[in-house]
Parts: sequence; structure tokens; C-alpha cells
Amino acid sequence: MSYESPIRDQLVTGGKTYRDVTRDVTRPLENAPTKSWWIGFSISTLVLALWIGATTYTVLVGLGAWGLNKTVGWAFDITNFVFWVGIGHAGTLISAVLLLFRQKWRMSINRSAEAMTIFAVICAASFILSHMGRPWVAYWPIPLPNAFGTLWVNFNSPLVWDVFAISTYFSVSLVFWYIGLIPDIATVRDRAVSKARKFWYGFFAMGWNGSTKTWHRYEVISLILAGISTPLVLSVHSIVSMDFATSLVPGWHTTIFPPYFVAGAIFSGFGMVLTLLIIAREVMNYKDYITEAHLDAMTKIVMVTGTMVGMAYITEFFVAAYSGVEYEQYAFLNRAFGPYWWAYWTMMTCNLIAPQVFWFKWARTTPWFIFIMSIIVNIGMWFERFVIIVTSLHRDFLPSSWAMYTPTITEVSILIGSFGLFFFLYFLFCKFLPTINMAEVKSIIPTHHEDHGHNHAKGENHAN
Amino acid sequence: MDITMRKEKIMQTNKYILGVYDNPDKIYSTTKKLINKGYKVDDVYSPFAIHGMDRLLGIKRSNLTVAAFLFAMTGLTLAVTFQVYVSKIDWPMIIGGKPNLHIPTYIPITFELSILFTAFGMVTCFFIVNKMFWGKNADIIDPRVTDDLFVVSIEIQENKTDIQALNQILVENGALEVRERIKD
Repeated sequence: MSYESPIRDQLVTGGKTYRDVTRDVTRPLENAPTKSWWIGFSISTLVLALWIGATTYTVLVGLGAWGLNKTVGWAFDITNFVFWVGIGHAGTLISAVLLLFRQKWRMSINRSAEAMTIFAVICAASFILSHMGRPWVAYWPIPLPNAFGTLWVNFNSPLVWDVFAISTYFSVSLVFWYIGLIPDIATVRDRAVSKARKFWYGFFAMGWNGSTKTWHRYEVISLILAGISTPLVLSVHSIVSMDFATSLVPGWHTTIFPPYFVAGAIFSGFGMVLTLLIIAREVMNYKDYITEAHLDAMTKIVMVTGTMVGMAYITEFFVAAYSGVEYEQYAFLNRAFGPYWWAYWTMMTCNLIAPQVFWFKWARTTPWFIFIMSIIVNIGMWFERFVIIVTSLHRDFLPSSWAMYTPTITEVSILIGSFGLFFFLYFLFCKFLPTINMAEVKSIIPTHHEDHGHNHAKGENHAN
Repeated sequence: MDITMRKEKIMQTNKYILGVYDNPDKIYSTTKKLINKGYKVDDVYSPFAIHGMDRLLGIKRSNLTVAAFLFAMTGLTLAVTFQVYVSKIDWPMIIGGKPNLHIPTYIPITFELSILFTAFGMVTCFFIVNKMFWGKNADIIDPRVTDDLFVVSIEIQENKTDIQALNQILVENGALEVRERIKD
């Protein structure tokens, strides 16, 4: 109930009341799943089965099941890892950074974006585990005492930093998500008819009763969580980029990597958020909550970050040329005109050129078009990681060891299967938890809706 | 401070009058009037945080910020101590001719652990001060308070509070219903 400017557009359209918000958001939870839910869920379960099969095969056979060779030791695995971690950046960015900037349009999209973050990080972590070849010793990067005749971990290594960064990011995102969910879980609890629902939602609502004393503390911790999550988001992808940047491989060894990776992560994250939300607003009929204004705002971010990433691609070329280091220069020429030229130009087209259509208002407000663009963005960002990783490695310092990399069916299956894992979790989330933050959305709808509009000039301000 | 307040409460009745509203503006102005008239407003229950309501009820700014800072410092200290202990004291290693005590490379992990400690420590404190835990039986004032209604609860002081007048204020300001509640 802050001041409502008569000029500014409503963030939630359709004259929704508080009651309507509760009903609309809890409808998928309280009713039997729709046909489209079952179809989506079944397909993702099948694809998940592919992931389970291919990952199990890799673990049983070993990394020989993949197309890696002695020159290209990292390929699909790390490409997919960076791809999923990047996607996992939009959620916290939307809820934390936009909270700090007081961007209220975040409120109807932050819940599903945060869920997406958590599921994407789970997918990313699965690649870290499987690329180790021996996932049962995956705890070795954790600094444990010298019990196996091994040394402590090397704190100089960005790979060790990454272990801390990703696990911190996952756990803090999970906490942030859960804290945001508590008031909404309480709403579901208070509407529950069946005993099981009352019990389970009551269990996780932790006795929430909406008292002002609790709300006060809730707002304090939300703000601090947002404050600490903002640098956390930036740090995580910076550290991921350091996995490459601190090495000596030409094409990786560049100081531009941290900001460039962070921009890329935001870019791909928003791409995925758009993909999911455009489906959600159609299937669950949330067009009044996720309006064209939301799509407009998100596509603007896609355009800005896409252009930043494109700028970084060009800067890399310039720096290589200007450095006078012939290995560096060759690495970049090889990227653009070598055997993997198609990957490079796919990346350039999808990430730098394609998002420029968002200069036009039509492109920013037409859902089917944005949907196609969001897929293009994700393809482009996957290829960015593939280009960085594979083209930098496949022609190393000794021409005698140059090699090509081709993925095996197992690797492709794991990649496709990881989408199954992601959507499987996402569909479960849509069925069991409120996909829109009801409490926050209620706080931004006009307070005088019951007066049927004859009181519009009031705009009382209690902000003191 | 809190304890003395609670003692006071025990000596009084546990009766509360609840005013149920459907609009945050209405409940805000009503609460303001009640406080100005000297009624003891115990709490206001709402489906979302009403802007300025916490200040109106005189809730002091939560100390959770201080807790967050202390947890951050704990994480920071532990991370630095541990990394220095491992790489300088317990098992010094020479990697690429670099010194054992390499402070700059401790920064990422130190940063991450500070954030981790802050988040978990602060949220745990939040649950403790609110007495929230998994499986707690909620003390629900009205099930609609998490949906679309707003409830103000006023504490009744025996022989002091004029219930008649109070009811009138609540109704005149647009209460949908006025109820009595006994807390134990």
C-alpha cells in the first residue's frame, strides 16, 4: 500500500482482488493436474529416464564412454555444467538484485525464477559429479584431514573455490526460496480441506500466522538475504570463469572472463526464465500476472546483456590481436575460421545479432516471438561455452597433438536428459508449490479495488 | 524488557478483541486511531507486510541485522584461520614456486563462507526469535488472514477498557466483524 501513481501502469492487470490472487495461484495445487501438465510431466519423466540411463552407463563404463581424447579433456561435460550454472543465475538476480533496486515487477516472476535457479544448479552439479568419472569419491575436493594419505586440497586452485561457490550458491538460494515460500505455504495450509494437505503444508509453514512482528523481521532478513545474494551471484560465475581464466590455455587466459561470464549468465538465465514463463502464462492462465510489461522488461535485459556478451567477443579478438602473442591470435582465428567455425558463428548470431530485434517494441511484447527468441538465446549460450572450451583445447601448442572432438551418443543423451531432470523438477514444483509469490503480489495490487474505481484520487501514502 | 511485559500480561486477562477488515488502508487508519486513543494494540495480522505498520505498532528495528554481521565475521574468521592453518602450518606445499601464505587466493573461499554463515545463521536466528519450527501448530487468528483479510487484535485490560466504545470504533471504521478471543 505504497503510493500508487496514476500514470504508472498496473503491474497486475484484470482488476484482481486479494481473493482472486489466492484462488488463481492455488488452483493448480488444489485441483487434479490438467491434461497439459500430465503430458509435460510424462515427457520430462521419459527424458529423465534417458539421463539416468546415460549417466549410469558412464559411471559403469567410465569416461571412455565419452568422446574425450588426450587433447580435448573437457568438452560436453563442462560445457553443460557452465550452461546450467549460467541459467541458474537469473533466479537470484531477479529476486535479489531487483529487490535491492526496488523493481516491483519482479514480484510475480521471482518464485518460478528462483525454482529454476535451484533446479538448474542441480543439473549443473550432476555434470560435475559425472565428469569426475568416479563419482563415489566426489567428496575429495572438500578439505578433509589427511586421512587417505593424500594432502589437503590446494587453496590456490579455482576448482576448489568453485566447490565452495557452487555449494554456497545452492544452499543460500534454497534458503532464500524457502523463506519466500513460507507465507504462501501458510496460505495453502489455511485453505486446505484434506488432512494430508493440512499436515504437510502446515509442517512446512512453521506456524506462520501473518503477525506484524513476524512480518517486520521477515522483511529485515529478506533485505539482508538479497544484499548478500547479490554479490554472491556475481561471485559464483566469476569463480566459474576463473576455472578457465587462471589457466595458461590461449583463449582462456583472459582477464575479461569474470564480467563476461556474469553477463552471459544473466543473458542465458533470462532466456530460460522467458521460455518457462511464456509457457506458464499460457498453460496456467497467468496473463494478468505475467503481463506484456513483464516480458518487455525482461527482453530489455536480454538485449542489454546479449550486447555486453557480444562486446566481450569482439574485445577478446582485439586483445588477442593487440597482445602480439601468436598463440593467442591463432586461438581466436581458429575459433572463427577453423574447423569449428559453425559453432562460433552460431554463437555470434544467436547472442549478439539476434537479440538486437528487441530494439523494436513489437518484438518485446509478442509472446510467441519472444518464446522463439528465448530458445535461440539458450542455443547461443550453449554454443558459447562449447566454443570457449572445445575450440581452445583442440589445437594446443604442439600441432602433432591437434585433435578433433565429437560427442558420443552417451554425451548427447546426458545433455538432452538433463533437460528432463530440469523439467521433471519444474513440473513437480508447479503442482505442489505456489508458482507466484502471492504475498508479494497482493502487496502491489491497488488497495481500493473494492471501491470500484470511484476513489482513485486517494492514493494515500503511509510511508511517512 | 520483554520479560517485564509478559509478567504484566499474566496479571491481566488474556482477552482480546479482534477487528476484521478487508483493506490494508482501513486497518492502518483504524490502528492509528486506536493507538492514539490509548488502546493496547497487541498485533495486526495481514496476508502481506503492510508498509509502515511495524513503526505504527512501535516495533523496534530487529537486531537480526547485528546477528547477520556477527555471523559474517564468524564465517570470515573461520575461513581465513582454516586456510592459513592448512596451507601454512599443517602441510606447507610449494606449488609453482608460489609462497605458502597466499592471501589473495583465500579471498574467494573466505567470501563464500562469510555469505554461507550469514545466511544460515541469520535465518536460524529468525526462526528462533519467531519460535518457528517445522511441524509447529500454528496459532491461527483467522484462516482468512493468509488470504484476503486483515485482523487487528486489541488487548483488553480488566475494568479499564471500554469494550462498548472499542467495538464502536472498530465498526465505524469499516470492520467486517468484531470478535472476542481468549488466549491461553
